[in-house]
Amino acid sequence: MTPLDNVADLRDTDLNDVELDRRLASTWATPKGVWGALSTVDHKIIGRRYIITAFVFLALGGILSLAMRLQLAQPEARFIGPDRYNQIFTMHGTNMMFLFAVPVMEAMAVYLVPLMVGTRNIAFPRLNAFSYWMYLAGGLLLWIAFAIDTGPDVGWFADVPLSGPQYAAGKRADIWAQMITFTEVSALAVAVELVVTVFKQRAPGMSLDQIPLFVWSMLVTSFLIIMAMPAIMIASTALILDRLVGTQFFNPAEGGDVLLWQHLFWFFGHPEVYIIFLPAVGMVSTIVATFTRRPVFGYLGMVMALIATGILAFGLWVHHMFVAGLPRLGESFFTASSMAIAIPAGLQIFCWLATIWAGRPVFKTPFLFVIGFMVIFVIGGMTGVMVASVPFDTQVHDTYFVVAHFHYVLVGGAVFPLLGAIYYWFPKITGRMMNETIGRWAFGLIFTGFNLTFFPMHILGLQGMPRRIYTYQPEMPWSGLNMFVSLSAVILAAGFLLFFIDAIRSALSGPVAPANPWCASTLEWATSSPPPAYNFSRMPVVGSLEPLVDNSGALPVASGLFVDRRELVVTSVVGALPEARESSPGDSIWPLWSALATTVLLIWSIFTPWAVVWGSVPLAIALTGWFWPKGTKEDDA
Amino acid sequence: MVRGRTLANRLLLTSALLALTVGCGFLGWMRQPRELRTNPPVLADLSRFRLMSNGIGGAPPESYFAEAEPYENDAYNLSQGKRLYTWFGCAACHGDGRGAAGPSFLDGWWLYGPEMVSIVASIRDGRPHGMPAFRDRMTIEQIWQLAGYVQTIGAYSAKVAATGRNDGPQTRPSENRAPAVMLFEEGPVGVNPDQGPSP
Repeated sequence: MTPLDNVADLRDTDLNDVELDRRLASTWATPKGVWGALSTVDHKIIGRRYIITAFVFLALGGILSLAMRLQLAQPEARFIGPDRYNQIFTMHGTNMMFLFAVPVMEAMAVYLVPLMVGTRNIAFPRLNAFSYWMYLAGGLLLWIAFAIDTGPDVGWFADVPLSGPQYAAGKRADIWAQMITFTEVSALAVAVELVVTVFKQRAPGMSLDQIPLFVWSMLVTSFLIIMAMPAIMIASTALILDRLVGTQFFNPAEGGDVLLWQHLFWFFGHPEVYIIFLPAVGMVSTIVATFTRRPVFGYLGMVMALIATGILAFGLWVHHMFVAGLPRLGESFFTASSMAIAIPAGLQIFCWLATIWAGRPVFKTPFLFVIGFMVIFVIGGMTGVMVASVPFDTQVHDTYFVVAHFHYVLVGGAVFPLLGAIYYWFPKITGRMMNETIGRWAFGLIFTGFNLTFFPMHILGLQGMPRRIYTYQPEMPWSGLNMFVSLSAVILAAGFLLFFIDAIRSALSGPVAPANPWCASTLEWATSSPPPAYNFSRMPVVGSLEPLVDNSGALPVASGLFVDRRELVVTSVVGALPEARESSPGDSIWPLWSALATTVLLIWSIFTPWAVVWGSVPLAIALTGWFWPKGTKEDDA
Repeated sequence: MVRGRTLANRLLLTSALLALTVGCGFLGWMRQPRELRTNPPVLADLSRFRLMSNGIGGAPPESYFAEAEPYENDAYNLSQGKRLYTWFGCAACHGDGRGAAGPSFLDGWWLYGPEMVSIVASIRDGRPHGMPAFRDRMTIEQIWQLAGYVQTIGAYSAKVAATGRNDGPQTRPSENRAPAVMLFEEGPVGVNPDQGPSP
């Protein structure tokens, strides 16, 4: 026992580095064992889980797409029947949008944002744990339902009346709608945490004009989530009520409105595209800055473009409804706004190009994925401007042209930056490097395979091949290209397989990574790889956009925090001036119990409305347990 | 020690995942698939039900039981039956189920009994006093689907599978309400004089 153990309220000012790390570790570390794993609130552990789960869903969704390509490879194929095919394309879209794309972006933010702003844990860490369990439960609900042949078969946007009580028999559409509730609850929870983390927990001195661009993009994304997701929760709840208790939200004969669904869904659904894309923009900015050895050109312009995209995102949902029979003037307005969003997107592209032009690019794997992103996303953006025009959209609506367009935008705009980001931050997260050679091969296969798979779909669409058909007749002129697309999909799948193999192999036995393998400039590289449970031994103080470059070696730090309890610094919104020491909640099992109680309530309510009444009892008990004071030191503050 | 526990945790997680997968696979294999194109021999067998000589009651084909009575227990078939009810103009005589020129279904009074084969025979072969035969207008599978739906309108006991409401004016309680027997205090006693002609 050292003499310091007797000192009440020990602060980090009193300790040397070794002693400080030892004490911080005992305060912040997650206990070993199942119980510790279930009750942890460490944003890095939860973020890692989130990322792995999302990639498992990516692999599952990819398997479904291969099954569809196998079925479509030749006319009149007998591999999948029509009913199963309906389930498969619905599962593919729903899974990729709700269980992969949005959660994986939030997962990256859950892991990285607290590190990038230099704090010790995310705001509301128990809510963070709760959001992961909700997400996992929602994913399991959807996939277990699919495994037992009750998968939703109404398309990923579940238009009424086809998803309504009259046409969607059984519980399939209810499972879709309730899965929405799960993922939206988790997404909203993470969005709130991120906003508070970015606004109130930045390192002292990190004023708003000095936050990394990835953090800016996640901040804008979080606001998009907070404003867009309630629309879909209202819509899916109204759908369940229509189906279960006989409300008439979408029944025009009783005063409801069919188009209400499409408006509510796409008021969420279009911002959803930017909820997926904006984090990717942040990742691209980060990677470009690191691999060109200079800050991104036009920081202010980039931030303004992010915000402009975020605002415009809410003004163009109607372009998904051009064939729904809306007034002409409205359609013209939304054509204009849809084309207008190409302006901020183009501005960002030119800023990146200027950065590369002015910098000294190093073509490592993460940067290759960024180059791939730019090529593919620009093509997707151009077909986007094409389908923004009403006459053209009327022609290609519900054809493979649209399938090609949104895969170019979503895979090009989000998955390529994400894979680059995985290669980039993998050493930080696992402490090991991924393999550069395999990475280049994976990039080459994915880039080639992607273009060969999806570019011909433009042509198929112009030839009139509709979406969502489970087979086609030999007389149609589509069979040659479809076979080509299916073969190319194998190349794409091989690239992803290589990526997964590389990731697993490197996580187990890759070369050990230093703290800052890429000579990057942002705060997450100032701590060890992987970071300790408390992130930083002493709270960093930031005075510039690139703290690790401008301070060559020694980062100024703040001190004065308690080490015997979880504590972090709260700073002001604009200038990040230190305001207070704030305690951060410790591990708790109650978020898990609360998530389980919510899961029971939500799944039960697919079958009877009484579930909302009786299911709220265990939920109330779990929440009471969650918020009951436990008498820990963190409760004192 | 720590290593042993991690290994135990991994084993626990793996076996839980394995159990989940196997369980789902088993359930999926047990459930009856939604048949958009029923097997032709099974379809042909649907015509081979046996009716009592008075035209009331009888026995469905054996294959119907082997398939777990799909036209009574499967929400998809029931909802198909509901669409056929509209498409083939049943409402012209039977209204929204409350009856008009033809008898009501909703009140739970069955002139020829509530068994599936009776209803199927009524639709296929017609009945006296105005019920036409639909033998040449619908496939035998459609007739079974429609019969299953008509049966749920006046069902005596609650079912797990039910159709939802239509996107139209709501003129009567929906099919997934409590069963018809709850509408009657005493239950059916003799022939209801309001039911139109007796058999």
